[in-house]
Amino acid sequence: MGTIDTAAGVLAAESGEGGFWETAYPVIPHPGELIVGIISFAVLYFLYKRFVVPRLEAMLAERQQTIEGGIERAEAMQAEAKAALEQYRSQLAEARNEAAQIRDAARAEGQQIIEELRAQAQEESARIVARGEEQIAAARQQVVNELRGQIGALAVDLAGRVVGESLADDARRQGTVDRFLDQLDGMSAADGRGGVPVPEGNR
Amino acid sequence: MTTVVSAAEEFVPPSAPDFWQPLVGDGAFAITRTMVVMVLVTIGLAVVMMAATRRLSVVPGRGQFRLEGVYGLVRNSIGRDIIGSAHFRPYLPLLFTLFTLILVNNLMGIIPPVQFPTMSRIGFPLALALGVYVVYLVAGVRRRGLGGFLKNLVPSGLPWWVVPVVFVLELVTFLITRPVTLTLRLFGNMFAGHILLLLFALGGEYFLLHGEGLLRVISLPAFFMFFLFTAFEILIAFLQAYVFILLASIYIAEVYADDH
Amino acid sequence: MEGNLAIIGYGLSAIGPGVGIGLIFAAYVSGVARQPETRNVLQTIAILGFVLCEQLAIFGIALAFVFS
Repeated sequence: MGTIDTAAGVLAAESGEGGFWETAYPVIPHPGELIVGIISFAVLYFLYKRFVVPRLEAMLAERQQTIEGGIERAEAMQAEAKAALEQYRSQLAEARNEAAQIRDAARAEGQQIIEELRAQAQEESARIVARGEEQIAAARQQVVNELRGQIGALAVDLAGRVVGESLADDARRQGTVDRFLDQLDGMSAADGRGGVPVPEGNR
Repeated sequence: MTTVVSAAEEFVPPSAPDFWQPLVGDGAFAITRTMVVMVLVTIGLAVVMMAATRRLSVVPGRGQFRLEGVYGLVRNSIGRDIIGSAHFRPYLPLLFTLFTLILVNNLMGIIPPVQFPTMSRIGFPLALALGVYVVYLVAGVRRRGLGGFLKNLVPSGLPWWVVPVVFVLELVTFLITRPVTLTLRLFGNMFAGHILLLLFALGGEYFLLHGEGLLRVISLPAFFMFFLFTAFEILIAFLQAYVFILLASIYIAEVYADDH
Repeated sequence: MEGNLAIIGYGLSAIGPGVGIGLIFAAYVSGVARQPETRNVLQTIAILGFVLCEQLAIFGIALAFVFS
């Protein structure tokens, strides 16, 4: 057995040959080893509980916080960028709106100017037309008046010649002529606008 | 095996007594090799962890990044996911202590100057399992009171004659099976793994030193297997540390599960 | 050749967990192949199942030493 023991690198002190613990079943715990195991375990557990694990946990918590802080910062930045974009967009919309308003105003103004010009022109043309009509009416009146005198004289003259007698009574003669002419007038009016221009229907 | 080798000495396979390595004294309170390793690992871990967490920055350096990787595994994928985000914080020191202590102690089974897994002595896994045991029992009693805790062992809606049986079974599970399996699993894995390594190392050495002729060549595959299983032990070391806190957090999570 | 009956017992006790662990990881592999995004969840469950299965083998080795 001796060579095997040395070959195994055994440092055993060969004092108690065949002592109880050498031949004991390996499943029976050696009290000294059990105590040393418990003490070592307890000491290491205490150290870990007191120092090692809290330190590691603190570091992990800090890291977590740092990462979360980074995320928060990024989120804030994003929000800021979003706000800026929103602002820019609203400004753009405002400007667009304003431009549209200006355009609308200009269009309205132009419309108004056109409207005014048109009205002016219409007025002008109406005035010109009215004046022309007036002139025409005046000329007609004049012609009618002249014709009335001449026709009366001519008709009496003609009738005197035809009848051969002079119609002495001037006043009665005038009345006859006037009556005739009025009849003529009435006929022409009922006839409906013959050759003579009528002043009311101007266009 | 011994018949084909005409050597003066017989091959003695590794066995349980190889794990009894007292340095000072010889008895119930002898100072053993594993004790020294355990104390050194504890001191080393304490110093390293205190130094590493002295100056933690939000933006991690290389060392801190690794520390955070280990801590994140324990904290997020075990603590938070299994116990639940509402209650896991008080248990983080426990889980992190268990994980680092078991992992480093298990790796000590491979790292050359020590090369002896602390957890192959059942006292140490038992100490750790007792810690978990106390914590989950205290948490359970504190949350529901002793009566509520006992009542909660039995799922509601069972026929009355099943209740005592289930109660006894659950009580045995809670009080005995869980700590025992927690202990035995860690102990058994490290113990068996170390025996396997010893077997390959001693067998290879035996063939090399005491074999004749071609038999010496057999030591080559033996040593190769030794390297292979050493690499495998790294995986086991990590897996057992992971599994230990996984089960611990499942036991703790059961305290906070509202229905049984 | 000397031996111990307890070790044979351990060998027998390792059969069940061996089959069980194989089944667990087969299910895990096919599950991950079917839905790779559930890998993390399945991993925890698979390791848990592996551990509960392995427990029996560990009992076996412990008891093998007890009765040796």
